[in-house]
Amino acid sequence: MLRSSIGIGLIAIMAATPAMAEIARIKQSSGAASVQRGAQQLKASPGLQLLAGDKLVTGKDGRMSLTFVDNTRFAVGPNSQVSVSDFQYDRTRQTGSFVTQVDRGSLAVVSGKVAKSNRDAMKVRTPNTLLGVRGTKFIVEVPD
Amino acid sequence: MRAGIALAGLLLGGCATSSLVLLPDDEGHQGSVAVLEVKGQPTDAVIADGNSRTALGNKSPTAKPLGNKGLKEQEAALLTGLPPPARSFTLYFELGTVTLTPQSTTVLNALRAEIAGRSGPEVEVIGHTDTVGSADDNDILSMRRAEEVLNWLASQGFDRSIMSAVGRGERELKEPSVDNFDSPINRRVEVIVR
Repeated sequence: MLRSSIGIGLIAIMAATPAMAEIARIKQSSGAASVQRGAQQLKASPGLQLLAGDKLVTGKDGRMSLTFVDNTRFAVGPNSQVSVSDFQYDRTRQTGSFVTQVDRGSLAVVSGKVAKSNRDAMKVRTPNTLLGVRGTKFIVEVPD
Repeated sequence: MRAGIALAGLLLGGCATSSLVLLPDDEGHQGSVAVLEVKGQPTDAVIADGNSRTALGNKSPTAKPLGNKGLKEQEAALLTGLPPPARSFTLYFELGTVTLTPQSTTVLNALRAEIAGRSGPEVEVIGHTDTVGSADDNDILSMRRAEEVLNWLASQGFDRSIMSAVGRGERELKEPSVDNFDSPINRRVEVIVR
């Protein structure tokens, strides 16, 4: 009885906060590091949950790192603007699609399950190039 | 105004050299990166050389070995800043119950230490059963197993907002089996710590 009420409580919590939409969490940040969500500017504190469409912004001394729910890992360097324009992931099937746009700065990536699920399911866009990620670790740099 | 922005964009694409550094993954496997489009035009180039640097923006990119110089300082710093890889733990249960096997109770301590050692952790708890009993009952049992682990973690002081639990019933057998087969390997909860 107690257990089932806890279970229902959990479901209620999950429905109340858009937990299903969580795509990643901030792990570390330093210096000027924020997440831009529409008109909102959120401090990139460890544990902050990210949503699709969020833009990661760092200043001259800023850095942040994050892990996505498909196990993809990002490290964002100083003076960067990186948007997660699209992120869809089916946890049960372990498939999805993932588009990141690096407008400026530097981004290190270790790809996760989305990249493994289908050819070019994970894409990275720079101002002049569209890349298809085929399971690996890499750094993209876009100077000012 | 718009022409000015477009011109600035062209100049940016033309002179500032975006680049890609391709590296082997942590297990030493070398993946590749396809160049799908350059300035809106489709291409079929693939960058596959590990430990290489490639200037982007050209339809036929040339990967150059990092060589003796290796990574630039800021590139090395970026890699150091990557979060640790996700880690997975498996806990096993007694037949038809939410009781952990004796060996698995020791895994709980390792699990707790792993979560405590991470910054901004996220914990995904996935319950499973063997094929003993009906599929519907096993959906419930797998969820109860996952909740049992989640509740234990909560009792250890971890905030519920960092954790989620699901039950997959007998859909994802670790050891494929016929129906109504008593399998200790399949009676499990997988915990992924990110």
